Amino acid sequence: MSGAVLEARDLRVRPPGANGPDGFELSVGALALHAGSVLAVLGPNGAGKSTLLRALAGLETQARGNVTRHAAGPVAMVFQRPVMVAGSVAWNVALPLWGAGVPRAERRRRVAAALDRFGLAPLAARRADSLSGGEMRRVALAQAFVREPAALLLDEPFDDLDARAQEALSLDLREAIRATNVAVALVTHDLRQALLLADRIAVLIGGHLAQVGPRDAVLRRPANVEVAPLVGMTNLLPGRVVARDPEGDAVVEIAPEYRLRAAAGATIGADVWVGIRPEHVKVDVGRGDTRVIGKGHVVRTLSDGMLVTAWIAWAGHELRIVAIAGRGLGHALAPGDGVSLALRPQDVHLIPR
Amino acid sequence: MNDLAVASLAEIALRTLAVSASALAVAVAIGLPLGIALGRRRFRGRGAAVSLVNTAMGLPPVVVGLVVALLLWRSGPLGGLGLMYTPTAMVIAQLLIALPLVVGLSHAAVGALGPEWHLQVRALGLSGMRSLWLLLRETRLGLLAAVIAALGGILSEVGAVMMVGGNLEGETRVLTTGILMYTQMGRFDDALALSALLLGLTLVLTGTLTALQQSGRR
Repeated sequence: MSGAVLEARDLRVRPPGANGPDGFELSVGALALHAGSVLAVLGPNGAGKSTLLRALAGLETQARGNVTRHAAGPVAMVFQRPVMVAGSVAWNVALPLWGAGVPRAERRRRVAAALDRFGLAPLAARRADSLSGGEMRRVALAQAFVREPAALLLDEPFDDLDARAQEALSLDLREAIRATNVAVALVTHDLRQALLLADRIAVLIGGHLAQVGPRDAVLRRPANVEVAPLVGMTNLLPGRVVARDPEGDAVVEIAPEYRLRAAAGATIGADVWVGIRPEHVKVDVGRGDTRVIGKGHVVRTLSDGMLVTAWIAWAGHELRIVAIAGRGLGHALAPGDGVSLALRPQDVHLIPR
Repeated sequence: MNDLAVASLAEIALRTLAVSASALAVAVAIGLPLGIALGRRRFRGRGAAVSLVNTAMGLPPVVVGLVVALLLWRSGPLGGLGLMYTPTAMVIAQLLIALPLVVGLSHAAVGALGPEWHLQVRALGLSGMRSLWLLLRETRLGLLAAVIAALGGILSEVGAVMMVGGNLEGETRVLTTGILMYTQMGRFDDALALSALLLGLTLVLTGTLTALQQSGRR
């Protein structure tokens, strides 16, 4: 189920035009894609995500190092803006099979199955260049799956799709990945889009892998302060470990009178960054809580109708928190409100400073 | 009135067809592969090659005629071949006029697909021959436009073929040089007859290519 299907070792790519000592270079020591598993590659623009995908697909002529395939099927790639060739949707999906010399009868059967998988059967006879961007993306995915690939590389597959189209596509994709046990790498700059499918997360910064690991491990324990905001740990407060409490948790002081506990091993006296995910902070308007870390007051709020984001002044910093709108405390937050903040020690992450 | 005999008209028209078709065939055989390679490959000096081709597209035919004449002149470097004032010399001059048009316009047609097209087709794992077939299919409109432009360029050309062919009756007279000569002689009826033939020939040939270009377009 989870053997490495595609493995990169000591991969180095210096794209043409990026010369000189300051030029960008992609440099990845080791990265593996596993059967039936989705690796989301996250990173800011220009981090080298697309270059990495092209190198894994064998499309980077400048690439040095090894990309090893441990399975029989091809490596398929779906581009951010798929190009369609003149002709019908079915012909576009059939293209790689035609290119590989697959007999007509088998081609027809596999194309029909791939069209069906991505809800394209009604569009089979349509001209491909008359499709919307979202439909073209689905055609490109069908064109990839029709090859029965061992590995699938997706470049920003949810880009330019509205939230509902993203949901629909991720459900179809997840189903297709499960059914075919394909190993997937998905590149995106958007954490939310990455989390729609990711089993594992790799963070690429400036051409280097800053962290690779299981989804929850990366989300809860980002390796450094550059990775933390990229994986949604947007609260980073400077503090110092001042004690260890009887339960073994580190006691961290953010400011005089402002302390919190972290379920983390850290030496007393160490300077740390305290990382807190917005969704882990519980607020309780005007009431106490056993896990309370102190009182703060709401500075400003922003709501998209589903989630409320609130910035809360606490310990000389502004803590960003997220709550569901209209439910529980979400609707009660207003600027000026005093709130009690509560946090579980296991939700507090310490990064050496 | 020294009316041209029908036989003579036909002979001139056939020669025109033979010279232009030969030049076009060679120009397409050399120019299309060059233009396609220029459009899909990246190599050092590509920019210089493209600007050279674009410059050559605007080359005045009279200058081409002069250069070919200098080369083929009896005392010129290729004088020993004895090609001056032969249909072969005319084919060479027309080839030099048509080739940049075929290369330049087919390069533009292939280049219009963009690097992303070539990358994505490569990612589909198509074999070399099949991806070339796909490329020709995708750029058919532009490639045939290149051929049509080259054909128009050489069918209507008069200066170069006059200089290297010499407009010799029964040997190197073609429709355009005939029209020029009869007009200068004041034999407008003959000039008009040849003009009508030239127009008809142009219409039939470009019409055929256009039909080919537009066929199967959905």
